[in-house]
Amino acid sequence: MSDARLLILVLALPFLGSILAAFLPTRARNAASFMAGLIGLIASALLLSFYSTLATGQTVRHVAPWLPSLGLDFTLRLSGFTWLFALLVLGIGTLVVLYARYYMSEEDPVPRFFSFLLAFMGSMLGVVLSGNLIQIVFFWEMTSLFSFLLIGYWHHNQSARDGARIALIVTCLGGVCLLVGMLLLGHIAGSYDLDVVLGRGDIVRAHALYLPMLILILIGAFTKSAQFPFQFWLPHAMSAPTPVSAYLHSATMVKAGIFLLILLWPVLAGTQIWYLIVVTIGLATLLVGAWSAIFQHDLKGLLAYSTISHLGLITLLLGLGSPLGLVAAIFHTVNHATFKASLFMAAGIIDHETGTRDLRKLSGLMKFMPITATLAMVAAAAMAGVPLLNGFLSKEMFLAEALESQSGTLLDWALPILATLASMFSVLYSIRFIHQTFFGPPPVDLPHTPHEAPHWMRLPIEILVLACLVVGIIPTLTIGPLLQIAVRSVLGDRTPDYSLAIWHGFNMPLLMSVIALVGGVLLYRRFGGRLNAMTNSPFIGRLKGRRTFETVLAALIDGASALHRMVSTKRLQVQLRILIVVTLAAGSIGFLTYGYSVGNGPTIMLDPIFAVLWILGGASAIGAAVQAKFHRLAALAMVGVAGLSTCISFIWLSAPDLGLTQLLVESITLVLMLLGLRWLPQRLPEFWPGGRTPFNVRLRRGGDILIAVAAGLGAAAIAYAMMTRPEPEGISRFFLEQAYHGGGGTNVVNVILVDFRSFDTLGEITVLAIVALTVFSLLRRFRPAAESVELPVQQKVQNAFDAGREDREHGDTAAHYLLVPRVIMEWMFPIILTCALYFLIRGHDLPGGGFAGGVTASIAILLLYMASGTRSVEARLNIQPVRWISVGLMFAVLTGMAAWLAGYPLLSTYFSYLELPLIGDMPVASALLFDIGVFSVVVGTTALILIALAHQSIRTPRAPKPEKAPDKIPDMEGDT
Amino acid sequence: MTGSMQHLIVAPVVLPIAVCAVMLAFNERRRMLKRALSLATTAALMVIAALILWQADKTGVPQVYLLGNWSAPFGIVLVADRLSAMMLCLVSVLGFTALLYSFARWDRSGPRFHVLFLLLLAGVNGAFLTGDLFNLFVFFEVLLAASYGLILHGAGEERTRASLHYITINIATSLLFLIGVAMIYAVTGTLNMADLAARMATVPPEDLMLLEAGAAVLGIAFLVKSGIWPLSFWLVRTYAAAVPPVAAVFAVMTKVGIYIVLRLNSLLFGGAWAETAGFADNWLIWAGFATIAFGVLGILSARTLSRVAGHYVLVSSGTLLAVIGMGGLELTSAMLFYLVSSTLSVGALYLIIEPVERNADEDDIIPGLEEPVFDDEYTGAIEEEENEKGIVIPGSIAVLGGGFIFCTLLLAGLPPLSGFIAKFAIVDALFSGPVISAKAWILITLIILSGLTTLVALTRAGIDLIWTPAEDSPVHLNVTEIVPIGLLLAACLVSMILAGPIFSYMEAVAADLGDASLYIDAVMNAPRAGEPEMGEAL
Repeated sequence: MSDARLLILVLALPFLGSILAAFLPTRARNAASFMAGLIGLIASALLLSFYSTLATGQTVRHVAPWLPSLGLDFTLRLSGFTWLFALLVLGIGTLVVLYARYYMSEEDPVPRFFSFLLAFMGSMLGVVLSGNLIQIVFFWEMTSLFSFLLIGYWHHNQSARDGARIALIVTCLGGVCLLVGMLLLGHIAGSYDLDVVLGRGDIVRAHALYLPMLILILIGAFTKSAQFPFQFWLPHAMSAPTPVSAYLHSATMVKAGIFLLILLWPVLAGTQIWYLIVVTIGLATLLVGAWSAIFQHDLKGLLAYSTISHLGLITLLLGLGSPLGLVAAIFHTVNHATFKASLFMAAGIIDHETGTRDLRKLSGLMKFMPITATLAMVAAAAMAGVPLLNGFLSKEMFLAEALESQSGTLLDWALPILATLASMFSVLYSIRFIHQTFFGPPPVDLPHTPHEAPHWMRLPIEILVLACLVVGIIPTLTIGPLLQIAVRSVLGDRTPDYSLAIWHGFNMPLLMSVIALVGGVLLYRRFGGRLNAMTNSPFIGRLKGRRTFETVLAALIDGASALHRMVSTKRLQVQLRILIVVTLAAGSIGFLTYGYSVGNGPTIMLDPIFAVLWILGGASAIGAAVQAKFHRLAALAMVGVAGLSTCISFIWLSAPDLGLTQLLVESITLVLMLLGLRWLPQRLPEFWPGGRTPFNVRLRRGGDILIAVAAGLGAAAIAYAMMTRPEPEGISRFFLEQAYHGGGGTNVVNVILVDFRSFDTLGEITVLAIVALTVFSLLRRFRPAAESVELPVQQKVQNAFDAGREDREHGDTAAHYLLVPRVIMEWMFPIILTCALYFLIRGHDLPGGGFAGGVTASIAILLLYMASGTRSVEARLNIQPVRWISVGLMFAVLTGMAAWLAGYPLLSTYFSYLELPLIGDMPVASALLFDIGVFSVVVGTTALILIALAHQSIRTPRAPKPEKAPDKIPDMEGDT
Repeated sequence: MTGSMQHLIVAPVVLPIAVCAVMLAFNERRRMLKRALSLATTAALMVIAALILWQADKTGVPQVYLLGNWSAPFGIVLVADRLSAMMLCLVSVLGFTALLYSFARWDRSGPRFHVLFLLLLAGVNGAFLTGDLFNLFVFFEVLLAASYGLILHGAGEERTRASLHYITINIATSLLFLIGVAMIYAVTGTLNMADLAARMATVPPEDLMLLEAGAAVLGIAFLVKSGIWPLSFWLVRTYAAAVPPVAAVFAVMTKVGIYIVLRLNSLLFGGAWAETAGFADNWLIWAGFATIAFGVLGILSARTLSRVAGHYVLVSSGTLLAVIGMGGLELTSAMLFYLVSSTLSVGALYLIIEPVERNADEDDIIPGLEEPVFDDEYTGAIEEEENEKGIVIPGSIAVLGGGFIFCTLLLAGLPPLSGFIAKFAIVDALFSGPVISAKAWILITLIILSGLTTLVALTRAGIDLIWTPAEDSPVHLNVTEIVPIGLLLAACLVSMILAGPIFSYMEAVAADLGDASLYIDAVMNAPRAGEPEMGEAL
């Protein structure tokens, strides 16, 4: 298998395992952990096989196109450094799996745990093995996601939920900054390919966008690596199961930021600003972490802050910008991973076996668990930097580098002192960790009786501690070659000479080490006893990162809510007002840019009669608007007048077809609305305290009037400008010329409707059908307001009259009242229907058409309903409006589709003349069939709406009063 | 273009109408029949859309269909180019999944659901296909009318209230649409979009004021549909009131407005005619920014998931509009990818909200954040009684949780789904110029902010609804609920993996949009079937 394929396999294995684990049975603890461990081992072994290739200084690359046009290719890249890091991820991961097998409770549904753990491991490997900047971010965010799931694994605990949420938000905040930073970096370097970017360090550092890019990337790295001031998420992540903490805090999650800084070190480091930011942040983190760690009472809390402090140390080393600093950083990264993982596991064992992690309760466990105690002591000694352990070596390097720092700032002399101080703290908390837990009197009041953990659970710690020892004692034989490969792959020719010897003679770093060790011991002797009584870390404890975070978040949300309320509205009126104002503004822009000009088309003299017609129409429209609120009936009547004047205008301007259609539509809509009016609740008269309309209301109304006038004037101005212009050479001439020749009809309007633009008509009848169905389903559930249920005054009088006479049945008066109109209307029914059919058939050549015909037919039905009442009509006439709609749509669609048979596009028409006896030549166009469809849909639509309204009257009212039992409701309802 | 393939273009409109005509003939009680018919129709629409897409991509020129065999600009034309085909695919996928989801129970909660649903799809498809401004109005009416019916579906006071609000706004908007079309017609004398584009150059200078005013009024109509601030206050409430499958399809309705803005902006103001070039761009950009900002505020202050989703729709619209305003080939193709990804993901979110919230009993689903009362720099050991044993998550919750996480990742633009690719592509395009403009920085900031706020809001909700132990019995999930959500999320996953080919398609779309003459030539030179005249031929 080629190297590239092997690399893909290494990356794919954890993900495959994750999917597999997710489908294991809930209690398959052994299977899940065995599989996870096996995957870790295989992947590590595969990775190890690259050693020989990498030892020669080569880089293994595999590129597969993913999104090539944007420079995002799926790139795997294995260099010495990433190889070392990947080994760390896999190696410690495998040990954690083994540990977790024994740590997690039997009842725990662990396959899910292992599934997340493997996915996390895969994501981390993805970060490490990516050779493309964007791909790094891709996996980076995935580590955030899976760490969220791992931290929140015991999500039935409040603290786990909170910890997971904080970790996710903080690291994702960093993640997006990182994304933008990486995009900028790619933009500056001209490629997202890591190897290309690494080769263009000089260009990058000299670029104008270097600073914003650097800050964004650093925010990404610092949030992940829990650097000050983002460190607060890390201690809260302690709610995770201990194996997760051991993994996240040693080799993975928090090291991702460090990894990135090392990876991009050759490109980003070496500038003054890099030094200032990174060193300052690293130093602050180092001190804050170390100081806080001293005052923790929770074993894991102490370790968490210690992690923060060590991460700060590594960041500080990277900030120095010297090659030796980088060597120390890489070395310490590896060392920290080994001793911190083992310490977390030891803490987990203590927790597991005693039931508490509270240092104040723990004591004298040496006797109960001597092996664990020994292991923990060695690891803690490594953490404190005791000679002959790996921590000592890298710490010496750190101290030496702190002395070497040459930046010409205050930091130069402060660094050695602060470094020694931090080391002293480190010694102090390490001693506290060990002394408090394992020495002293036997513990009292522990939840469980402590005893040694099972051997397999200790094995991972033993391996790690052995590594601490071996590296600490014979570094050149163990870590030496690996470190060399890693360093060389990052630094190339700049690789410095460094020595991994344990003994460098008496020098300043050694002195500082000794001071730190002795000082730490002394401090513990002096203050150790008092630490247990403290509830908060002095100075630093006041920072309250979590609390600040939550407060800021809460303030943000409150502020956003307040602002959101300010810039939005729930009210329809306001929304409509905004719509009109915005439209007005948008419409005026053109006029403001180019000025307003009236066209120079031919004008005609104003006919006085026409003017009167329009004044009447306009006045009615305004009157309707004025009356709409309190006098709906009057408003509707005036709307009718305005509509009529429009109809007359159409006819006046020689558009009989439009006029006819408009007239019919006006009548039917007006009647339908009048029918609906019956069910609207009564409008309460306006009432303001003291009978005076408040000022703000008057102001608002005044504003509304202004807006309305402005919009009206604007529309008028536009209309005037439009109509005074000569007609542009458009498409209308074609319609006039082609109507008969190509469309077979002399009524151009109808030919347009059923032929030229029959597709529009098809759409419009669909709209009609939908509207009818919607109205019907809306009214089906509609129950009028209580005050509308009451009978109209007129009917009450009539009923009272009936009730008062013995010879009268209930409802007689109402029935007799409309006797004459009823007879007339019933007689009119066939006549109107005939008229409707006539309109339909002649439509292609003369005013009329399917639409006009359909409306006419509906008027016939409407009259029938009004005259005879719902029940009596429906007893005699079975109108099935939905069928009409259905048939109409089918007619229209099938007529259109018929053209397909002849190989023509949809709705192509055919026409010829038919010889009929008596009548003579009758034009027959396929458009007529289409028009029949229109006719049918229109009839069905109006009938459906009519029925929906009419049926209101024969419904059981919502709150029936005794005298209004349904059977007593007369047929004569729904009249106006 | 031969044979039946030619008529395929009109099928996305005619097929649903024809099926509805048949369905109306049957009694409403024949539910299984109607389900079968409507599901088959939506499935067929997916296939048709895919075929149209394949055809449009293969030939590379817009496919024109002359309705009634009248040549442009006199008759109505349907134009299926790459952009339209893509939109058809998007709506058909969303339509199919939402319809399937509705079978869980939603299609039973009111009459004529299937008919209205299919007609909505017909209207949306028509709007994507038509090359005629007035015909566009007709299809807007079709889709709006159907949406009125669908929003009322399921009844209930809040639904009725919200829908009346919605209907009023949209009727007012339709009026503006008509006014705008009339003004443009008065100046140019044509309704055909290609013809209009061709005539833009010949508009006399004294008529420019009317043309621009008309375009602006028309634009307002489309922007209302796409949910621009401050014309979008109706949107969140309406979408939240709709039943889930309807809300999911509504997610694509704002994209109709966006599509038209994109289409007309590139055709009419695409830069070929100096006088009016880029006329709308600045307005779009700033209005887009305002919309994103408003959406972000809304997401932060939202107390229910459906309000988060609604405001996310606004964010998505704002982003798209701002990007359309900025223009450029790379940015446009990134925008198109984002359009697809965000539409699918918000559709999935609308579908998953209801099952996730099913067991929640309070009105405020997302708890308000209180200032923590406890002092907690973590010094002490954990004192509360912790249960360090995992609990078995029932299958349905696990599926829900997984789906919810996927939705969150998609909307927040996090890996590994397409949301990340979309975000990356947009920011990458914004950085690609020699100089990064201030507007680009604002947009990037807004995109990042919107992603973060979405993450914060959805995490809070998800933790509360899915992770917090509840006494209620576990949610029962229907297969017809899981499958559609799964399909939508899978579509997003696929578009992440196949980002390369999809992106090259989007680049082709963007290139087509940049060259208006391609569209104009295709429409104006489309040959009629069977010349000479059909009336004589038969």
